[in-house]
Amino acid sequence: MAKMTMGLSTSSIDKLISAGVILSGAAADDMEVNVFVLVNAGHAFLKNKAADISNMSEDIQTSEEFKASLEKLSTPSWIEFFEMAKELTEMKVHICSLAGKIAGADKMEDFIDLVDDICGIGEYIESVQESDVNIFI
Amino acid sequence: MTNEELQALNVDKSVDARGTACPGPLLAAKKAIGEINSGQIMEVLSADEGTRKDIPKWAAKKGHEYLGTVEDSGYFKIYMKKG
Repeated sequence: MAKMTMGLSTSSIDKLISAGVILSGAAADDMEVNVFVLVNAGHAFLKNKAADISNMSEDIQTSEEFKASLEKLSTPSWIEFFEMAKELTEMKVHICSLAGKIAGADKMEDFIDLVDDICGIGEYIESVQESDVNIFI
Repeated sequence: MTNEELQALNVDKSVDARGTACPGPLLAAKKAIGEINSGQIMEVLSADEGTRKDIPKWAAKKGHEYLGTVEDSGYFKIYMKKG
């Protein structure tokens, strides 16, 4: 089983959707996937924020257009993409403890159900070293 | 296989993914292939151009036999036999 590690360091909707699309492709390919939520991505995985994420990372002027297109195309939400990928393959979501603290959270119950554990950067590096594919978003 | 041969196949599983864009049809195909047995035929209906290339490659990589694609009005049907 090929392995993929994704470092995710953003809480912006456009990049979370990109991550979801890539994870879906990896799941269809039966890859073993580890997602590490780093630095500023912790906010997106908070129980009280995850469903309301709407900020764009760039090209802010087209934000409304982007959201309208997603709706028109019946694109799943970023959370649904992640859930589908988890359903189809062996995939774990790890919150880097710094990312959690930056988001003001340090306990598992602060995060949505997608999250499997809280970890340190050493696990990310180990996963990177063991992976066939590494993606950083 | 010719278009006529493909259209005449007895399909064991049909997946209508015309309402979704990439990667929706690929995910739907991945889910549905688990519901049929080796040797059975599945068709995927899609209107997404990316999917048209993705699914034959995915099928071959996963050990299934890609049988062909038939164009219909505004969408296409991709046929495969589960390996």
